[in-house]
Amino acid sequence: MGKTILTVDDSSTMRQMIGFTLKEAGFEVLEAGDGLEALERARGQKLSLVITDVNMPRMDGITLVQRLRAQPEFRFTPILVLTTESGLDMKQKGKEAGATGWIVKPFSPEKLLDVVNKVL
Amino acid sequence: MSPGRSSRPEPAHGSRMPSFMRGKASSYFDRHFQRSAMKILPGEFYATHRDEVIVTVLGSCVAACLMDPVAMVGGMNHFMLPLSRRDQDPDVFFAARYGAAAMEYLINELLRMGAQRDRLVAKAFGGGKVMEGLSDVGSQNILFVRTYLQQEGIPLWAEDLGGARPRKVYFFPHSGQVLVKRLEQAHNRTILEREVSYLEHVALNRDGSDVELFT
Repeated sequence: MGKTILTVDDSSTMRQMIGFTLKEAGFEVLEAGDGLEALERARGQKLSLVITDVNMPRMDGITLVQRLRAQPEFRFTPILVLTTESGLDMKQKGKEAGATGWIVKPFSPEKLLDVVNKVL
Repeated sequence: MSPGRSSRPEPAHGSRMPSFMRGKASSYFDRHFQRSAMKILPGEFYATHRDEVIVTVLGSCVAACLMDPVAMVGGMNHFMLPLSRRDQDPDVFFAARYGAAAMEYLINELLRMGAQRDRLVAKAFGGGKVMEGLSDVGSQNILFVRTYLQQEGIPLWAEDLGGARPRKVYFFPHSGQVLVKRLEQAHNRTILEREVSYLEHVALNRDGSDVELFT
């Protein structure tokens, strides 16, 4: 069984691009369009990694990180933030919420896979 | 009128863009339209809730004007897909990711100003075949912007895309109105030079994605 990665982004274009990169590298990919949907998708799943955007409707990525960290089964799951946000204050919020790393868009597939393999 | 207007952030431009998207929009008072005008260059964007006009000049680049008519916020970006070696797959993907990021910077800024994603509508301009001899980057840009908007479920209310002449575009975010002026080929040396130098700049910074691991 391959490792499963949940990607969370409100842009379907972006989900497709991230999904393509990960599937090519042999990962199973689950998708969600916002934080709330991500929590539903994550329920009962064995996730190796979560990759989330920040700015999303209904529930943003920082809140999603906090909510996942509050659940025992995701306390130690690596969570990468993949966003257009590059401000230090926003990064700090992500770090405090419990994110594992921060990647600023646009991403290069090689770099994304490199980071993914580092945190897995 | 939408609530919470006073708490809206100031209009925002290129400063949030990553390093390969450079420059800053410059503002002036437009006497003809009797309001403040913001001029954007390739690689820049500007979003506002004020009653002003956003101006740009397009050759083969495209500009997407996005607005939320209910929240009365709107903005424009100006970009081109860096398709220099089209036969190589990684380049195509880099191009698409770049375009998607250019759209997302603008969308996120509008959301920050009170727009709602499901209320966004778009108008798209540019993508001319103005560089003789060069591969038709304009049509790639058009294809990208149409596909992107469709995939994101953002209705394209109006467009003026393709053709051989550069355009000057005036976007009024409050009314959603856009005026397009076709420019003469003879005067567009500067437009071409700007686009080529922008393209080179993007190509040079293609692996610039910024990564930080918290430990």
